[in-house]
Amino acid sequence: MSAMTSSKPTPATTKATRPRPGQGFSNLAFILPSILLSFVIIGYPIFEVVRMAVSDVNRFGKIQGFEGLGNFFKVFEDPIFIQSTYQTIIWTVSVVGGTVLIAIPVAIILNEDFHGRSIARTIVLLPWAVSLAMTALVWRFVVNGDFGTLNLALTQLGLPFNNHPWLATATSAFTIEILVGILVSIPFTVTIILGGLTSIPVTLYEAAAMDGATKWQSLTRITIPMLKPFLQIAIVLNVIYVFNSFPIIWIMTNGGPANGTDILITYVYKQAFAFGKLDIAAAASVMMFLVLLGFSVLYLFMTRQLAERN
Amino acid sequence: MPRKVVHSVLCWLGLSPLLIVVLFPYATMLSTALKQKDEIFQFETKWLPDTLYFGNFVELFVDRGFGRAIGNSLYISIGATLVSLLVALPAAYALSRLRIPGQSAFRTYLLVTQMISPIVLIIGLFRLFAYLGMINDLNALVFAHSAFYMAFAVWMLQSYFDTIPKELEEAAWMDGASRLKSFWRVFLPLCLPGIAVTSLFTFVNSWNEYAISLTILREGSLQTAPVKIAFLTGTLYETEWNIIMAATLIATVPVAIVFASIQSYLIRGLSLGGVK
Repeated sequence: MSAMTSSKPTPATTKATRPRPGQGFSNLAFILPSILLSFVIIGYPIFEVVRMAVSDVNRFGKIQGFEGLGNFFKVFEDPIFIQSTYQTIIWTVSVVGGTVLIAIPVAIILNEDFHGRSIARTIVLLPWAVSLAMTALVWRFVVNGDFGTLNLALTQLGLPFNNHPWLATATSAFTIEILVGILVSIPFTVTIILGGLTSIPVTLYEAAAMDGATKWQSLTRITIPMLKPFLQIAIVLNVIYVFNSFPIIWIMTNGGPANGTDILITYVYKQAFAFGKLDIAAAASVMMFLVLLGFSVLYLFMTRQLAERN
Repeated sequence: MPRKVVHSVLCWLGLSPLLIVVLFPYATMLSTALKQKDEIFQFETKWLPDTLYFGNFVELFVDRGFGRAIGNSLYISIGATLVSLLVALPAAYALSRLRIPGQSAFRTYLLVTQMISPIVLIIGLFRLFAYLGMINDLNALVFAHSAFYMAFAVWMLQSYFDTIPKELEEAAWMDGASRLKSFWRVFLPLCLPGIAVTSLFTFVNSWNEYAISLTILREGSLQTAPVKIAFLTGTLYETEWNIIMAATLIATVPVAIVFASIQSYLIRGLSLGGVK
């Protein structure tokens, strides 16, 4: 059974096609179009990026010779790359950590039975519907020092934030971007955790209550342990998405001030499309790609384990 | 009953910090989009506009060519939805109903295509479309989006196909219908709701995409709505937030409503896609 199937009985077991000779090779025609499309649009660019990473490429994209690992050494000698790597780790860990910490209680509340639950669910999932670019843009205006509505609201609450320029220093800009990153990652994470919560049999809680367990005890002894595999999956998937999330930082600060909010993906984009250093950008892309692949393998491994448990 | 009321109040209170942060940008968009320019740049900013002013929307479409950007976005999103359905439908049907050699390899392959973010391959994508002479071609975006959103469409469709009893098709075979005919006449009509939901998700994803559109469509007249709006902030001497917020309102609210109405189906697709 494949790793991606759920705990429900899968079609593989109920498959009843008309008996046909052979192993169904003609059925491959059904999946061929999807393979072809992704092979051209995803496969070929992978080949190109790898080829450029080991080549000497001029700023017009012409390949001038084989470079071996030279581009990779050049990348590591660039202090901004090192800084961006460090900031990528901070970005990913803070966004994913913050998201999971907020999403757990939110999902637990949304799993309760209360008036207006479906409205609350819709609002919580709302950021998912909106383009990251738009979200970033609106937040850039919200935290605008002179005309932004954040300072307006804080001033109205009597706090001394009139004209506070939130995006002017790297630390405060990065913090704001991390918070926006958390906000847009919550919907997806809440959805996964909700899926986990509904999979916990009610009888477990009933049995615990019968034995005199308090609500807190059933939370820490039943809910959290039962959620563990779902949390692991939520963390890995979020790492994959957040690690190369581009629009928030690109639109809010463009990596500035003074590269203080650059992460690897904005570094790559600048190298390629602002400075024309395509080989450097390709080498950095390859490294990012390998990290992504590593996390994807980890994900496959974890879902396989979860499927076996069920 | 009062107990449930108390419980509800507590739940809403617990969620309120998050709900406020989620809704805050919408209040900002609405408040700013309905103000005149002078009102925003006043020393004392206020929430409510002096009078409701719709001139920003007029200016957006008449002077800033935002209608063109919406048109480009619609072309790409509809095209990407059609192309991804075209390749995802047979694949999902095969995964749900047929025996395919290497089925689990195909599933892993789909999953990997979903894990790779287009932005990591952006230089490669640029070169691919440059070779094909498709830089500044809306169709490049149609194919790029359909390839990257295809896997999710396959999972969504398959989860829907699995709920349709195969006996219905078998009955059609008994009556002498060919596989293709029973697919068109029996199976597909039953699947229309699932296909509709899948299409809407693909549409929303494509509508919202930023990085590939920014990179491949370099000409101003070809920009999509998100790119155009982000562009508006950088080109003017003085950022006209009233115009920009009017634009974000137009580009986000319809999509958000569509999304809100179909979000419950997401969990299905996700659970089959490997999350659950």
